[in-house]
Amino acid sequence: MIMMLPFLTGMLTVWFGIRGQRRMCLSLWFITLAIFAAWCHVHMTDPLGFSL
Amino acid sequence: MASNYFYNDAFRFSRALNTLALAGICAVLLMAFVWQIAFNELPCPLCLLQRLAFIMVGAGLLLNIRFGPSPLHYGMVIISALAGVAASGRQVLLHIAPGDAGYGSPFLGLHFYTWALLLFAAFLVYCGIMLMLDRRSADHANPRRSSRTAAAVMWLFLLLALANMVSTLLECGFGPCADDPVAYLWLSLSS
Repeated sequence: MIMMLPFLTGMLTVWFGIRGQRRMCLSLWFITLAIFAAWCHVHMTDPLGFSL
Repeated sequence: MASNYFYNDAFRFSRALNTLALAGICAVLLMAFVWQIAFNELPCPLCLLQRLAFIMVGAGLLLNIRFGPSPLHYGMVIISALAGVAASGRQVLLHIAPGDAGYGSPFLGLHFYTWALLLFAAFLVYCGIMLMLDRRSADHANPRRSSRTAAAVMWLFLLLALANMVSTLLECGFGPCADDPVAYLWLSLSS
């Protein structure tokens, strides 16, 4: 798991947004979101110390 | 002609609001950075995911500024804010039990992840209102010329996204981050 990877894709998302290349910006945003979801699976699936 | 004038005026108002919202995101990211450096409080993995969600929210706002308001861009903001709600809500639940001091120092009585949860909820409300205000806006595939203020905010946002990437690289290297980090991995390797 590379924690800085979604920050790299996120930064590129912003870069292509500023450059006016929306298709690239959207594609990178989706990739960032997918990595975010994968990293959430790693960090957010331990059971909590209480029951909901 | 009259409807075009109305449309352009509304468009300008919407872009100004989106610029203001993006400036708010920049303020949040800047504040997190100042806190990290001034108090040497390193962000945990969930904190980093919340910062990332703010960057994703900002990307949708940036497209609204660059291309004009569109349901597509507001959709990006809504999904990103929901991702942020998931990460910050999880951290709130982790520390909600009585006797738990929470992670990091509180700011104005609340921890940063609680502030983040409130801000992500505020962005959801913002999108609801803006989708009503921008209901007549169409999707434009070509970028528009931005004002100097909007351009400055967008470049500051890019700078902060880059700074977050570098900071995460220094803290975690090319691997996962520790759950309770106390030192920058790459800085401790070099000393």
